[in-house]
Amino acid sequence: MSEPIGTTKGPGQTAHEYTFITPDRAHGIKTGEFVYYLATIDGQERAILGRVARRSPVRLYPDGFLADPQVPPEAVAGMIGDLPNEPGLFEITVAILGYHDPALADLVNPRLPPHAGQPIYLADDQLLASVLNRKAPQAPGSAHVGSLLSRPAGAVPVVLDAATITSTHLAIIASTGAGKSYLAGVILEELLAPYNRAAVLVVDPHAEYDTLREMETVPSLAAEGYSSEVHIVRPDTIKVRVSSLTLPDLRYLLPDLSEKMHYHLGRTYRAVKRRYGRNWTMGQFKVTLRAGGSSKPVTDPRADEELDDQVIDAEREEDGTVGALIWRVNQLFDSKIFDDHHSLPLQELFRPGRCTVLQLNEIEQREQQVVVATLLRRLWQARLDTEKGLAQEGNENYLPYPTFVLIEEAHNYAPASNDAITSQILKTILSEGRKFGVAMGLISQRPGRLDADVLSQCMTQCILRIVNPIDQNKVAESVESVGRDLLAELPALSKGQAIIAGAAVNTPVLCRVRPRHTPHGAEDLDAPARWRAWFSQGVDQKRERDLAPLLGPENRSRSRLFR
Amino acid sequence: MRIGKIVRSSSHIDYVCQVYRPGETQDPPRPEDHAFGSFVRIATAGSSTIVGVIYNTVLMNPDFGVLGPRLSTSAELAVFSPDYLNEQATLIGIIAIGTLGPGAAAIHGVPPQTAQIDDLVEPMGADEIIAFHNHAGNGIRLGYAPLLIAHGSPLARHLLLNLIERLESLCPQARPPLQVLKANVAWRAAVEPLG
Repeated sequence: MSEPIGTTKGPGQTAHEYTFITPDRAHGIKTGEFVYYLATIDGQERAILGRVARRSPVRLYPDGFLADPQVPPEAVAGMIGDLPNEPGLFEITVAILGYHDPALADLVNPRLPPHAGQPIYLADDQLLASVLNRKAPQAPGSAHVGSLLSRPAGAVPVVLDAATITSTHLAIIASTGAGKSYLAGVILEELLAPYNRAAVLVVDPHAEYDTLREMETVPSLAAEGYSSEVHIVRPDTIKVRVSSLTLPDLRYLLPDLSEKMHYHLGRTYRAVKRRYGRNWTMGQFKVTLRAGGSSKPVTDPRADEELDDQVIDAEREEDGTVGALIWRVNQLFDSKIFDDHHSLPLQELFRPGRCTVLQLNEIEQREQQVVVATLLRRLWQARLDTEKGLAQEGNENYLPYPTFVLIEEAHNYAPASNDAITSQILKTILSEGRKFGVAMGLISQRPGRLDADVLSQCMTQCILRIVNPIDQNKVAESVESVGRDLLAELPALSKGQAIIAGAAVNTPVLCRVRPRHTPHGAEDLDAPARWRAWFSQGVDQKRERDLAPLLGPENRSRSRLFR
Repeated sequence: MRIGKIVRSSSHIDYVCQVYRPGETQDPPRPEDHAFGSFVRIATAGSSTIVGVIYNTVLMNPDFGVLGPRLSTSAELAVFSPDYLNEQATLIGIIAIGTLGPGAAAIHGVPPQTAQIDDLVEPMGADEIIAFHNHAGNGIRLGYAPLLIAHGSPLARHLLLNLIERLESLCPQARPPLQVLKANVAWRAAVEPLG
């Protein structure tokens, strides 16, 4: 046991806090640091761990001693007495966490604060590594994301329980530039490491996860007979089978319809499913829409083919509402993401040891939401069918392993202000996903704009620097497991420093995110460098030459030259 | 030269000295020798000397308030009733602020030993004052400053200011920290009472 660092003063403001006094000679008792006192619980001596919540000096120089910057206050204080060499004396407030119970694999609060005068010790690295984490680094089911911020880098690893993340969901919240994509990259590396081999899909609206491809070449992420695989799905290859669209999807994609248009759309949707079954096509939808409310049967033999616009125009109903709706539907189905027969096969998107990056950067936002909504619905249904034995091998809905979906810019898919088309399926997965092996990881830079229910369902939270007070309040409301003392640290965190709390760790910790094995793909553009490059030698001359107007034969005539 | 002798004390550190009058000593002190803020030493029976500071002066005059006519003039009283004249006295208050031992070893704060009645009070020279404040060759010390403030005299802050000014002139190398301390005390002495 090490030397005591302080002496208990008494109880704190709440029943779960105490205060102690320390000279802090090593300047090591930082906010978020872990200390302990000894207590006998059930006849056994236990180290009762606590986290430093506040630190306030109890011995300060008078302001007048600080009047002259050229004269250190120690020189003035030294004149008036035999003062100790260490004038600093601090009152430290500690939040009691409890002792580690190996049987429960958790911290148990003894509800027994230390008595006045009891010595307080600094928890050593080994104790913390065993108490804070449920897994050792690189153990099966572990996700080593960094090290404890209050200790030297790498001294106390912070290891998340990957099984918990991939069943009870994860949220990564931070301001722009605080390192949330970087942290997400670290977590993905861990999930795809040989000791986890997860089936992961990343919804990437900014195409910044390209660099994950390098995971395939990182030796530490490979093992005998295993190498992680990264599959990038480019925007131009993303297809949504139209028959996977629900009526609400269509209504969401066709905003500002009149009541009558809604009526026709709904009637057409039901009719096309009735007439053509589950796998209807765009052509069939248009024909059914054109047939409208008349009892005229659809006899067009080419109804399941793409109809030519001219044909539609010629056969268009006189009803202006239906005509307008046909025009809107044509516009919608002109999008290259919709297809009659093909959609992204789930077995390709989700496979153990594979990270699929779904790049949505060239797709309009409403269509992005529909892509994600249809995909999540299909995933959810597939996992339900597989778990209930309704889907067998060979069936497109057969997905016999749990999956993890990481969504960037999650506030676009579950906004707080209104319901997006993705909100409902997200809430369903977040509330019931753990039973069927569908887990979500939500990344957002605006927690204030993220649906509160959605945020609170993510049981593990990684919170990086947040400066906006609205976002801070939102986090405080939604994230119950993080104490106020740690949330007060939010604006002061640096890039790459995070508060990690929730189900995947035994207690909230301040973490320094570890370096990534793969390069980070979301670096900011260096605009001044690009501007300077515009004028760099040779490039501007080449540009002038390339852009010079070509002289035609007539311009090259002698008369032209000598005019 | 001797200033006077201890005639009374009101606490372990608070002494009253009766200043010698002409005729009581060969070299009677001048008023500036027992001015407010002067450093004095009180020779004791032990090996070390108590160092004190004059913080107050009281003039004793039994004639004050006796307004009736006298049968004898002052000159006649000096001849026929010399004891009567001795009842007029100048008393100075001295606060003990430390000791100065052999080899100029200085201790600041409450001195362990006490002065006795009739112990002699002498002024301290500049060398002795410097030796008392010298801090092992590393600047100067005013370890008695908290004691002066805690003494509770209404003049305590002004007394400290006076001492600091004296030390500024005696120890110019220690002027910067002394000035910071002086500014702090001056603010409290001058501004806070009016605030």
